[in-house]
Amino acid sequence: MAEHLNVLVRVNGRDYSRSVPARLSLADFLRHELGLYGTHVGCEQGVCGMCTILLDGQPVKSCLLLAAQVEGHEVTTVEALNQSEELHPLQRAFTEAHALQCGFCTPGFLMTAFALADWNPAPSQAELREELAGVLCRCTGYQNILEAVDGWLRSVGRPTLRDGGGDG
Amino acid sequence: MKPASFSYVRAGSAHEAVRLLAERPGEVRLLAGGQSLVPLLNMRLVRPAVLVDINRIPDMDRVAETSDEIAIGALTRYSSIERSEAIRRRLPLLAEGVRLIGDRQIRNRGTIGGALAHGDPTGEMPLVAMALGASVEILGPGGTREVPIDELYLGPYTTALGPDEMITRVRLPVIPGRIGAIEEQARRHGDFAVVAVAATGVKEAGGRWGEVRVAVAGVGPYAFVCGEAGTELSGTSLDESSVERGIRACLAEADPRDDARASAEYRLHLLPILVRRALNRLVSRRGALGG
Amino acid sequence: MAETVAPAKPHSPPDLVWVGLSLARKEDERLVRGLGKFVDDRDLPGMLHMAVGRCPFPHARIRGINVTAALRMPGVEGVLLGADVVSRTSPIPVLRPLPDARVPPYRAMASDVARFEGEPVVSVVASDRAVAEDAIGDIEIDWDPLPAVVDAEQALEPDAPVLHPELGTNLVAANSRAAGDVEAALSAAELVISDHIRINRVTGLPMEGRAVIARYTRGVGTLDVWSSTQLPHLVRWQLARVLGISESKIRVVASDVGGAFGLKLGLYPEEVLACLHSMDSGRPVKWVEDRLEHFRMTTHAREAVHRIEIGATRDGSISGMRDVYVVDAGAYNSPFGSPMLSSLMFTGPYRVEDAFVERRVALTNKVPVGAYRGYGQPESNFVRETLIDRLARTLAIDPVEFRRRNLLRPEELPWKTPGGAVYDSGDYGAALERALALVGADAVRERQRDLRERGRRIGLGVACFVEMTGYPGSAFLGKHGAAFGAHESVTIRMNREGGCDLYTAVSHFGQSTETSFAQVAASTLGVHPDRVVVHSGDTGSAPHNTGSFASRTTVAGTGAVLAAAGQVREKALRVAAHLLGRDAATLEIVDGIVRDTEDPDVGLPLADVATAAITGHRLPPDDSPGLESTAYFDPPANTFGYGTAAAVVEVDPRSGEFTVERFVLVHDCGTEINPMIVKGQIQGGLAQGFGAAMFEELVYDPDSGQLMTGTMVDYLMPTAADLPLFEVDHTEVPSPVTPLGVRGVGEAGTIPVAATVANAICDALWPLPVAFRRLPLTPERVWRAIREAEQGPRAGAPQSNEGAVT
Repeated sequence: MAEHLNVLVRVNGRDYSRSVPARLSLADFLRHELGLYGTHVGCEQGVCGMCTILLDGQPVKSCLLLAAQVEGHEVTTVEALNQSEELHPLQRAFTEAHALQCGFCTPGFLMTAFALADWNPAPSQAELREELAGVLCRCTGYQNILEAVDGWLRSVGRPTLRDGGGDG
Repeated sequence: MKPASFSYVRAGSAHEAVRLLAERPGEVRLLAGGQSLVPLLNMRLVRPAVLVDINRIPDMDRVAETSDEIAIGALTRYSSIERSEAIRRRLPLLAEGVRLIGDRQIRNRGTIGGALAHGDPTGEMPLVAMALGASVEILGPGGTREVPIDELYLGPYTTALGPDEMITRVRLPVIPGRIGAIEEQARRHGDFAVVAVAATGVKEAGGRWGEVRVAVAGVGPYAFVCGEAGTELSGTSLDESSVERGIRACLAEADPRDDARASAEYRLHLLPILVRRALNRLVSRRGALGG
Repeated sequence: MAETVAPAKPHSPPDLVWVGLSLARKEDERLVRGLGKFVDDRDLPGMLHMAVGRCPFPHARIRGINVTAALRMPGVEGVLLGADVVSRTSPIPVLRPLPDARVPPYRAMASDVARFEGEPVVSVVASDRAVAEDAIGDIEIDWDPLPAVVDAEQALEPDAPVLHPELGTNLVAANSRAAGDVEAALSAAELVISDHIRINRVTGLPMEGRAVIARYTRGVGTLDVWSSTQLPHLVRWQLARVLGISESKIRVVASDVGGAFGLKLGLYPEEVLACLHSMDSGRPVKWVEDRLEHFRMTTHAREAVHRIEIGATRDGSISGMRDVYVVDAGAYNSPFGSPMLSSLMFTGPYRVEDAFVERRVALTNKVPVGAYRGYGQPESNFVRETLIDRLARTLAIDPVEFRRRNLLRPEELPWKTPGGAVYDSGDYGAALERALALVGADAVRERQRDLRERGRRIGLGVACFVEMTGYPGSAFLGKHGAAFGAHESVTIRMNREGGCDLYTAVSHFGQSTETSFAQVAASTLGVHPDRVVVHSGDTGSAPHNTGSFASRTTVAGTGAVLAAAGQVREKALRVAAHLLGRDAATLEIVDGIVRDTEDPDVGLPLADVATAAITGHRLPPDDSPGLESTAYFDPPANTFGYGTAAAVVEVDPRSGEFTVERFVLVHDCGTEINPMIVKGQIQGGLAQGFGAAMFEELVYDPDSGQLMTGTMVDYLMPTAADLPLFEVDHTEVPSPVTPLGVRGVGEAGTIPVAATVANAICDALWPLPVAFRRLPLTPERVWRAIREAEQGPRAGAPQSNEGAVT
């Protein structure tokens, strides 16, 4: 029991050991302890979704998690998409559809969308809006984001791609 | 908005969690899904000395079926409820209600036990649990007790849980031939309801309905089952004049306040409309199911 | 009346090959990787974190502040109190003064009286934000709450508490403008409809709040400031005045900004406080606004009460329009101030010659009000377009037909309006017809009749708008006392690779200026846009500019880019001509190669030309080394975008619930440099328009004066699941007064939404004469409007404006 503790956290496949205040949020930990600034903070109330990351493959709001809680779990952030010089197909889908303007919400949408390929790969338009309703965007009006995600899901959902292992 | 400082400890069992609660009465909070608690911590509206993380307690997130009930561990996440084949098949109202809560991220973390313990006055989980006649199993230092959901709430965000007790399981009866419906008005997707109505009834012969339960939220300090409405509606075929009587019974118990989302006057206007919608949907679902 | 204004000759550049293409954005590469550089993404060595203690009351005297416990807390490095701040700083300079107004000074911290919930009264720096907040919690403040007023009309009553005793009143400004004879016109009208309409207080709510890092370096005495701002140069100027140091010692950098929408227009108190703390400690100081602070400090918007009257003759010609309105400015006149365009644009795109508008600005004990996308135009659009519909229906004229009769025709422009604007050119009617075609108005009407027989109500609503973009030149702004001009500037500096660096102080917050500037520069220089590297938002490298707001960046910025790139191109051709022994007049640059149009075999890579110039090795006799240019562009006049929105809405008359089934917007922004970006701006504006029309409201409790909807849970910004599909189309009438014929586009989407939806609801419920006097449109408000129409007097008569929280 402590106000400070050591945590071992696995982020994007790498293990990190740090001593942190118990009250430090996962979002702040990722950003300021690990230097992974792609996950943003917008409200600290669990509404805006800027801080969305994947916990064991499921999108969650990292402003509502303590760094201390995620020991033993897999955390995935937007940086995980930056495996190569080339943009990840999901990222490219966003640029081609002009699905971002200021870019502040983009990592939140990318993580949410990324998980959809596993959890709900063929949503209807209404379902897709529902699945993305946990991340707010003030710039785009959402339409291009929906197009980008829809298009990417379709490309990932092609049986041949899936059976062949597909991309991540 | 950073929380005030606290000590963090992980409970390895429900008993350990309860012991920790008892050690420092009023200074300890349980952290389950955190979707309601952490914002309060961040805004410093609650300032526990100790935060007990119960997310690692084993076997508290199971969905267990028997012939006449489904028992759901308190740590079961909303998303799991949404996706549970057993719940979709045997308690579809629960799956339907859960989809109205928050958003995907919130549903991936929020738990049924947390929702019931938090007791949001217009939350869909307490409402649906009431319509389904649920009961909660509560663990305290003295052992386990079971409380019917109708008796769990004493006020807004206030439950009959003692300061050293926690919910461990939620038991929902599965009644053959029971149909449910939930209708609500929310100002925005995933938002707390302005007014919500959840109704259940059991198909009886001759187009009649038995064991009708009508639970309402948004027209009082917390959600409640309108017993009188249930009495008026049970045994009827939910025809228009019965529905009218049921509505009058709901209105008689309703006592809403003005707030930023809606006025009391509008809530009273909306209640009959939503009650009617919910009851009509029971009838049309029955028709669709061929009963 | 039509006025003869000689239109400026549009610049005729070489074939602008990259203009008009939907090029993928340069900004995306870093942003989709999560590698943007927002202020909070920087952690400097030795950095301290600031937290601010704020007044919890709408109005209170500070009797005493005890910081002893806070100072003793481990990790706390410093505290600032109001008295210190006031003695060490000057008030924040106003950027846009109110005409004929005495405004109270706006200081970086309250010292004896705080005038709104949220006003800073103490600040602390510590090792991290959580500790700084702990320290704030340990500060004891002895408050003496004072009577408060949170309603603008009440604030103007004789017995209202006066916020600033030295002013003796809460009325800070009153300006009016008249044209023709509005009394006569209204008397001559067959019908006059009048009403009293309240526009909701909202916030732009960018996803990134405000943030600043201030780093003072002792010895050299320089101040580096990273700020999430729209106006780096102006913030620099303001800081210099506030802190009493030279601008030359200050560098302001706005790297990536997570949305702004008019809320980040100028210096805010916390930026001053962070600078002071850094000066005191010698360490960098970071302050990141949290969302609760955002609702209680960053400028609010739009709140106003309009008393509007519009008259029409029997045949449906507008005969007189009068709008007297009060703007609720909050507790101080914010540095950028509240919008004035409601006055300028109040008559809209219609032929109105007899009109009167009066604007009064009232102070209230609420967060100061500033600019927000639309800048007064959404407000006046709502009051005018809803009244026009009611006027038309009451005269038994189809609201669309009424608009056809009154919209200015292209040949009537340029047209000087009663508000003082001069509309340059445009075909307002064409946008209307296109919108009607897109929404399928005839089919909607048929379906409406059909559904009505089956007990369902749908309605078709329409609203027309014209939008001012940009300012009519710097001289005009100077005459009105503004602290800024209307110009933009860029420096283009070629490099030896044959590409260039483009420096602009326009910070990037989503408007894609990096991309559009690159498109224009690349087109002029004859290179691929990838060869144009845009550096934005840094006063250390970019020439003086104004900043990005008022939909003016494309208009003014494009002009500057064209001029600078044109000068560079000219010199490059001169140097190339010298190197090739040819006549510059026959040379062109295509794909980075300087070619002779008369002799295709003769050519030289631009890289070689640039190298020759930069090194100075081989230059024409009269040229000096270097290949760069700085250019300023001052648009000679403002230009006007315009359009029409149409919506199909289904209404449940019993519950008041309604669904927007279709929403169409046809807009005209002249030449579209990057159509994809234009459409994105429109869609974003529409979403904000829907937010303000149907969901959002900053509600202050009339008794306690407390903000009731000041969290993300209570302030309802729409999600992806709350909005309809936006169907957007455009017409393209190039503006005669700007280079390339562009009109601004950033704000258009915000303007017509509320009126369009309201008009559709009214159409669905007609002949019940429903009227909306409050926003947002909620099911409860629709229900109340229906009840009033059923039980109250006939349509159009001024009615009382009540109901509980609605």
